[in-house]
Amino acid sequence: MKRIRISSCATPSLAPSAARRPLCPYAAALHRTIAPHNHRIQARFQTTAAVEEFGGQKIEIETPAFKTEKTRSPSRRPHRHVTPEHMPSPHPYEANQSIKLSALRARLSLPQRFPLQTLARTLVHPSADPDPAFNNASLSILGGNLLSYYTSEHLLCNYPRLPMEVVFAATEAYVGPRALAIVASEWGIEAAAEPGGEVEPGLLQFKRLKPGEGIPAALRKQVPWKWNVTQTHRIVATDEFGSHNAPPTPQSLANVPVPMEEAAQSFVRALVGSLHLHLGAPLVKRFFKSHFLSRHLDLSDMFDFRTPTRDLSRLCAREGFEAPVARLISETGRLSRHPVFIVGIYSGKDKLGEGAGASLEEARFRAAAASLKAWYLYRPLDATVPSSMEGELDTTKWKPNMIDCGEVIV
Amino acid sequence: MSTCKSAARISTAVRPPTLLSGSLIQPTLLPRIHCRHESTTRRHKKLLTVQQAPSYAPTRPEPTLIFNPPSSAPSAFHTPLKFLPANDKRRALYASFLSTSTARAHRTATSPVAAPGTPLSTSSLLPPRPSASLPPPLRQPYEKKYHLTDVEIKEIQRLRKEDPERWTRVRLAEKFGCSQFFVGMVAKNQEKAAKVSSEHERSRARWGEMRREARHERERRKELWGRDA
Repeated sequence: MKRIRISSCATPSLAPSAARRPLCPYAAALHRTIAPHNHRIQARFQTTAAVEEFGGQKIEIETPAFKTEKTRSPSRRPHRHVTPEHMPSPHPYEANQSIKLSALRARLSLPQRFPLQTLARTLVHPSADPDPAFNNASLSILGGNLLSYYTSEHLLCNYPRLPMEVVFAATEAYVGPRALAIVASEWGIEAAAEPGGEVEPGLLQFKRLKPGEGIPAALRKQVPWKWNVTQTHRIVATDEFGSHNAPPTPQSLANVPVPMEEAAQSFVRALVGSLHLHLGAPLVKRFFKSHFLSRHLDLSDMFDFRTPTRDLSRLCAREGFEAPVARLISETGRLSRHPVFIVGIYSGKDKLGEGAGASLEEARFRAAAASLKAWYLYRPLDATVPSSMEGELDTTKWKPNMIDCGEVIV
Repeated sequence: MSTCKSAARISTAVRPPTLLSGSLIQPTLLPRIHCRHESTTRRHKKLLTVQQAPSYAPTRPEPTLIFNPPSSAPSAFHTPLKFLPANDKRRALYASFLSTSTARAHRTATSPVAAPGTPLSTSSLLPPRPSASLPPPLRQPYEKKYHLTDVEIKEIQRLRKEDPERWTRVRLAEKFGCSQFFVGMVAKNQEKAAKVSSEHERSRARWGEMRREARHERERRKELWGRDA
């Protein structure tokens, strides 16, 4: 049986000699240290024990040609006098030897052309390494914007009638800090006890809060952006979650102990940003669909109506329907301790919603809320999101999305 | 389940007065209602058997798909026909489904006259379409009248100002044939409102622990109605 040589499988673009425009400054600095594909495959035969045996001296799998190449060493190239213990975060040079990083890349089904050095950089929070060339702050800003863009376009195109409050809440539930931290823990991200140059680069690097310490001032609830916060102001001026105060800047978190949630969410955002830079938008969209949109979120649970009957009659008047009438569909045990009434709201001969309750008032209230939900949760059959047409020459597939005139205002 | 059954048995097991003991009435140790207790395990178990739903019993010998979902509230994601935009495809689908299902129901349903034992007074027409008969309304629907003119509104305001104790919102609403809400809108008396609310406050202060808790709990439950929880 003929054996295929592994080196022939490697694409030419992966070879370090190829004149490829570096996509990030980090990659430029590390351009020389990326081992060719065929050599990296050989590294599999090295066991963890073998690596540890050598102690501080790392195994060099690079070809002699690489070693002898005279280059301007990057600023953090380990010199004789800089020990890893004195560096704030692991040297990118060590990313290739990290088993955890390779495992993470394989677990996320990322292609081999996604460099491990970038993956290692996404794990460094500004609280561990304040140097913007080595932490994930810039990537995390890019990734955060991409995530909120894809989420909000999904929500707005698929549920064009959603009230703004629910859009904000749903965006936060999909890509909010807590959701991203949960995603990171589901991916199996572990945190380093203390960041430093000598720790494994596959661990999340951030400065931990000490027990009993309060969260830092930058993450605490601050004075809002503006005191008279209206819905319009939340849409125009605040972030994608409609939050009351601005998110902390990476500079304000430099060398400040932060909770794990903050570091984990910055990692997920940075990973999305770096995927966009290295692999392009189509793969990021697929990644987003499989890792974020696939999470179950019941939008019908996110409503909180205070005066549904009034809102519904206002809605029917606005849309030109007949005035809603509550009708008793069925009931049981009216004179008992636990009666159940089922009330439907009808407009003309059409039933708009149905609700069950222990009193006629409760059933009517719930039925009105169900009718309003049926209005707000309308979903067009075929919605095309704007990002699906990026770079497409053939625009015949594009269908204009529905834009609703807005929620009911009483 | 079992209690219902035994109660039914008690009611049916009333012993009729027998002729044998009719002449000589003797005091008996048996209770007047002689019932048979579920004394054995087998009888208890038998009571628990629930009749199978008709849709579970296959009508054909070959394997069939059984679809028998439990009764539940309709999903909020099913947009009713009225709420669909004009250009939505589902409008045509719903309309065609409704017409075909009604036509099939009319084709398959037989007139009640065909069944044996039907009284002759029964109409031979088929029952009306389901959409024609709506359930009874909770409150009789009414039309808004908008009948009060400026003169009458002035009169309402004058009466309310002159004697708020006599001309309450209820009396004014009855006199002018409008809602109490409308009276409150056009002729709100701040002093009377403050007085009434302070009275309510005083009577609320007399509530004991249990009543206050119960009212508080009821308010909290009412908030959950709008959250569908």
